[in-house]
Amino acid sequence: MSNKRKAQDFLLQFWTYFAAFFSFATLSLIIFFIFTNGVKLLNLDLITHDYQAKTHIAEPLAPNDTDYFEPEETLKAEVYYSPRWGLGLIDSIDLMGKTQVEIAYVHPSSPFQQLHDKGLSHELLSLKPDMMIIRIAYSDQPSSLARYGAERMIDELALSNQIRELEFTIPGGGIRGSIITTFYLIVFSLLFALPIGIGAAIYLNEYAKNNRFTRLLRSFIELLTGVPSIIYGLMGLAFFVPFIINVSSATSGSILSGSMTMAVILLPVVIRTTEESLKVVPDEYRQGSLALGASKTQTTFRIVLPGAFPGVLSATLLAIGRIIGESAALVFAIGTAIKDDIRVTEQSTSLAVHIWAMMTDEPANIELSSTIAIIILLIVLLLNLLIKLLTRRFLRKVSAPR
Amino acid sequence: MSRINTTLRSKKILIDQFAHQGLKTLALLSASFIFLIGSVILVKGLTPFLTDNDGLGRVGLIPFLTGNVWLIGPTFQSSLYSVGFLIITTLYIVFLSLLISFPVGVLTALFIAKIAPKKLAECFRSVVEILASIPSIIYGLFGAGFILKIVYQMSQLVGVQSKGGNSVLSTVIILALMTIPTITTVSEVAIRSVDQRLIEGSLALGASFTQTNFKVVLTAAKSGIFTAAILGVGRALGEATAVSLVAGGRRSGLSFDLLDTTATLTTTMLEGMKESQGLDYNIRFSVGMVLLVVILITNFLLNLIKRKVGKIHVK
Repeated sequence: MSNKRKAQDFLLQFWTYFAAFFSFATLSLIIFFIFTNGVKLLNLDLITHDYQAKTHIAEPLAPNDTDYFEPEETLKAEVYYSPRWGLGLIDSIDLMGKTQVEIAYVHPSSPFQQLHDKGLSHELLSLKPDMMIIRIAYSDQPSSLARYGAERMIDELALSNQIRELEFTIPGGGIRGSIITTFYLIVFSLLFALPIGIGAAIYLNEYAKNNRFTRLLRSFIELLTGVPSIIYGLMGLAFFVPFIINVSSATSGSILSGSMTMAVILLPVVIRTTEESLKVVPDEYRQGSLALGASKTQTTFRIVLPGAFPGVLSATLLAIGRIIGESAALVFAIGTAIKDDIRVTEQSTSLAVHIWAMMTDEPANIELSSTIAIIILLIVLLLNLLIKLLTRRFLRKVSAPR
Repeated sequence: MSRINTTLRSKKILIDQFAHQGLKTLALLSASFIFLIGSVILVKGLTPFLTDNDGLGRVGLIPFLTGNVWLIGPTFQSSLYSVGFLIITTLYIVFLSLLISFPVGVLTALFIAKIAPKKLAECFRSVVEILASIPSIIYGLFGAGFILKIVYQMSQLVGVQSKGGNSVLSTVIILALMTIPTITTVSEVAIRSVDQRLIEGSLALGASFTQTNFKVVLTAAKSGIFTAAILGVGRALGEATAVSLVAGGRRSGLSFDLLDTTATLTTTMLEGMKESQGLDYNIRFSVGMVLLVVILITNFLLNLIKRKVGKIHVK
């Protein structure tokens, strides 16, 4: 082989290696980016907290009669505790780097358990761990402020006999609402898509004759896969949103209209995956069942469908992955208002749309978006792994008896 | 005894027929959704061109398809919408992204299918699978948080003031990254299904391993590889949320400058919808209609080229 040939071969070989490692580098970069930005917000509070922070101004209902509250659990060393008020405070720093005073412990019979909201709502409030105290105003001395830290606040609290009012924040930045929405979306979309999809797959594979009409049906269903999701979103906006507004108390896009739109997106996936697994069920099963006197319906639902169960399961998992990742269609079919109180007839965001809503806002919240992205990515990877295991087991099971 | 049998059997037949018709209805329902989509988009999308739009005046079809400004005049007070520049920018961006994703995707597929040792190939196949399953919003987030910064700094090096990195280049990179896994997966299947005898023949004639891979394998698999490119183009044309985070939302003026802000048909559809009726609402369906037509025409043309290209035989 000539040297020129060798050099040329080497160059071409180099490009294939380069291309392959390019994909690898992309994946690593994406994962690296998401984790470095998102990991610091990744904790349990994120999942349990509301997105909107709420600030209350309140006053204690009852005056403080008792003078001493023994803490019922051992407190951490950094916690400053006032036995007189039964309140434990701790210093913390918010995302902007400012000092905050966080509540670490509230005694069960502390006067802070019963607070009267001085705002419009007049509801009964109580202090809970994780909330932030902004200001405590007294009747008999100057107010204590959060920026001087927890220790000074506790000292001043100990000197006072009467609290006039108290300003505190229930921290936001959580994604509880979006997690619940995503869950509702998954349940309702599957509720719509699975019966229709599995039924259609059974018809196409078990009942339909191989004629022009069936081929036409198939090609119409196949066409759905090529439609971009934003077009599905438009369809949901113009068809399912008005439909849900007419039949329920909804006034705009809602989880229900989003689920219906999502169900249409899922149909081709569910139909194809189910049909493939129906095809793998051996014909002997059907013939055996029919020969024993079972009807066609009995054979289909008692013999064939259970045999195709792993395929149906992997269709479900694929569908869940698609629902979690979908954004464009849902922006239209539900809306982009991030909510904390979730109702199926109201707007709210799934996790993916939550990211989109925050990224199109000014300024974009890349940290929280990355944290949500970590959650989405982990779920999607887990689903992929499950599908892989399922297919492998299914293939082994089907090929074993032969 | 026989009467019981007959009633039982007729009941069974009844159930069978009922099940048959029920399942058929479900299949018909599934197939009907494509018509629902088509008719909804068509009805809403044609409204701006056919009606008076509550006194704003009819939108002209020709100006709509050829104009250079998304909207002349304030929203809700003007009917001078146009998407001409958006159609061209969309095609331009998709073409540029294909310039990156096609070679990288195909060569990755070649590497996985023919060059890499078995273990390494398995590993890279998983990498591509994971990339394919990452939702587009995460690509968008990566683009907005990472690619934008790099493009911004790069443009400063060149001395161009780009708007925070929102540019044609960022959009092209994000679209390329998103379409690589699609192209790789489909072309890998095509490459692996190339007849082994063809490869052995080439090797026996004295061609080197690399020569065989590039001249025989890739040529023999070109029909499948072309299908991969068509699928990639389809995905890139329809992508919305990821692109909207890096494009910059250009409202007017055709620009081929790599570092200038841009917009595509999909990002314009996503941009701030304020009303749920009227022209500003309906016009998005018109854009959707244009997008569908663009996708259909591109697909048709590419399939035509594929048929032409497919006729050339392995040299």
